[in-house]
Amino acid sequence: MRIVLMAMLSLLAQMAWALDVVATTASMGVLAREVGGEGVRVRVLAPPDRDPHMLQAKPSMMRALRDADLVVAVGAELEMGWLPAAIRGAANPRLLPGRLGYFEAAAQVPLMESGQAADRALGDVHPAGNPHVNMDPARMAVIAQALGERMARLQPDQAAGFRARAARFAEALTERLPGWKAQAKGAPGAVLYHKDGDYLMALLGLPVLGYVEPVPGVPPSASHLNALTGKLKGQGGVILYHAYQPAQGPARLAQALGWPARVVPLEPDGGDLQAYVRLIDAWVSALAQART
Amino acid sequence: MFKRHMLAGAIACAFPLPALAAADADLAALRAEFDQKLAAIQAEYEARLKAMESRLAQAETQPQSSASRESGRDRLGAVSSGSGFNPQMSVILDGVYYTDNRRGAGMGFMEEIDGINHAHDHEGHSHGETERGFNLRATEVAFSATVDPWFDANLLLTVDSGGGVEVEEAYFDTRSLPAGWKIRGGKFLSGVGYLNNQHPHTWDFVDQNLAYRTLLGEHGIMDTGLQLTWTPRTGSVYTLLGVEALQSNEQVFGTAGEEVSADRADGGAVGAGNGGTLSREKAGPRLFTAFAKFAPDLGDNHALQIGVWGARARQHQEIHDHTDEDGLGACNPAVPASCVHALEGDSWLWGTDWVYKYDAPGAYGQGDIKLSAEYIWERKDLTVAFHENPAVAVGTSRKLTQDGLYLAGVYGIAPNWQLGLRYDVTGLTNKVEGAAGTLSDYNDSDRWTLSLTHHFSEFSRLRLQASTADLWVEGAPEKVNQFFLQYQHSLGAHGAHAF
Repeated sequence: MRIVLMAMLSLLAQMAWALDVVATTASMGVLAREVGGEGVRVRVLAPPDRDPHMLQAKPSMMRALRDADLVVAVGAELEMGWLPAAIRGAANPRLLPGRLGYFEAAAQVPLMESGQAADRALGDVHPAGNPHVNMDPARMAVIAQALGERMARLQPDQAAGFRARAARFAEALTERLPGWKAQAKGAPGAVLYHKDGDYLMALLGLPVLGYVEPVPGVPPSASHLNALTGKLKGQGGVILYHAYQPAQGPARLAQALGWPARVVPLEPDGGDLQAYVRLIDAWVSALAQART
Repeated sequence: MFKRHMLAGAIACAFPLPALAAADADLAALRAEFDQKLAAIQAEYEARLKAMESRLAQAETQPQSSASRESGRDRLGAVSSGSGFNPQMSVILDGVYYTDNRRGAGMGFMEEIDGINHAHDHEGHSHGETERGFNLRATEVAFSATVDPWFDANLLLTVDSGGGVEVEEAYFDTRSLPAGWKIRGGKFLSGVGYLNNQHPHTWDFVDQNLAYRTLLGEHGIMDTGLQLTWTPRTGSVYTLLGVEALQSNEQVFGTAGEEVSADRADGGAVGAGNGGTLSREKAGPRLFTAFAKFAPDLGDNHALQIGVWGARARQHQEIHDHTDEDGLGACNPAVPASCVHALEGDSWLWGTDWVYKYDAPGAYGQGDIKLSAEYIWERKDLTVAFHENPAVAVGTSRKLTQDGLYLAGVYGIAPNWQLGLRYDVTGLTNKVEGAAGTLSDYNDSDRWTLSLTHHFSEFSRLRLQASTADLWVEGAPEKVNQFFLQYQHSLGAHGAHAF
């Protein structure tokens, strides 16, 4: 009887002490779960099949943020169309940017294309830098360790566990890097729909041959696709796009160039390290298969 | 030689050699040893310098490695370009091409719709000065910033095409209150209803719906005061509760400080046989509101928000002076409109708002659906405070009641293309009741609106809108068909929009 009571009490204590974490995207959810382990409860706001640029603030997001101890965002203005409004509506001062409860992945690593002109003639640019750091396993390893530090600051009594799990996660990704690089070696590169795969391409040392979007956030025009075809005719490569990006542009380009056009995910399909590894695997194998 | 001996002495001191070394042979050996050691030190130093230089060069060419050295350091805050400026600033440009079937009089009819709020000579600011042809509508200029750890502040100005500047909103919000509490103070759009606190650039249609326009005014309830909101813990349901105490400046249902002029609108003197007077302006706040919004969690694709609200203005005064119309002549008890009179009392309003959104997986808003509906009911509970006609007793009751609603739907027909349909109506109930029964019963005015919006990007849009309205103006039916072509451009760092 006493044992049962003790077990229930310890379970209660654990539930009460678990950090309530809200992650903006599925990949941030993987980070939070892997680093937080038993010490966190994680809820993801953006479904993995939606464009995180285009979401709208919803009351259910505000509800989730209302009680959260920590929000884990990609950052660099990726979620600027909805996360600030959702945090405002949540009336939770712990999560305001600059406080311990607001964690931004992009703030933990150097960004590509940072310091570019904030010229919207170039489309929906992010002058702070390319925010799609979740597609870079090397940066994710660094971000995981920073998140471990953050959770340790929020929950000092579990600091050792957070740090150890963060280190394990970082190590697991770092170990796989040489394999991914070797698999992709010699591949001709790819045309991407949006600048969301740039970090992975740079990590693998492969060229981005072009973008289906003429400028970020604007659907492709016929003249842009023709120009792209003219530039790439005769080369090899693959066109990669996400299911939420319209398929017509990639299909037209694929036909004109004789390249394969492949749908690849941009977010993991599950909540753990394996799901994230599958995501990178899918990209690497799609890129490697373009090799002739 | 002396110098050399000095050097030898110095070296002798520096190196633990026997002090006997005075002989020349010993000295030569000593010198050789010294030179050798010096060379060795120099070489070591140079090697160190080179290593340091190469490390520096490496660090410069490899920012990534320098970052990974810092791994484990956790940085607070957000990466943002907008915060490079403090405050953040944004501008919304808005222009329309307009035409109608009434030679440009359509906008005028919209202002004069029969109802309980139009029939007094309250001097409000006018927004309906849209001409046939090209119009620059009010330009919104917004500033926002975090003041300090405790407050955020916002300022929203509108600049009309003539250069007139109006402060639409200027308020602070608390940042750090615990337990879901927030206080807003200053001039702001009230939190009642769904559309009330939205600015024209977030509307799905060019113009304000008839229910808001006739019952709350073109802007909705925009006033100066304090707002207290609370977001309680309510399981999976989002709940927002709020109360406001507002000054009630120039609300169509809450005006104070009116005075009956000694002159009638037609230029004549107010009849000497009159009775009564309007009471003094009460101290503010004179307008109180309460609202509640509930939103169940319907998963990733669906969102629903239901709201109810109520408002009470504890003082309202209005003067009716139609004597400049159609040569009515001096006050004639048989023709009520020929007599100047004033009413005062208080006002009650309530409303309910329903919003449903479907977020489709399609890109650029394709397949997205948004349905919204609001109902507003308004009662002005007044008594006659002044009348030019002595036969009408001061203190006689006047109950003015009007309601209205709109139903709107927007659908993403293609990437970046939206089709909108709206039905709005005002005056389903639309009457003035006296002690003995109904004094006036106005007809209802309604309208159908179709809009097609193309978003070039997140920051610019072009909208085509056509509407057909059956209005009642001065007791006569008026058919008004309107056509708009609108552009809206958003410049600068613009904040995220609420639900």
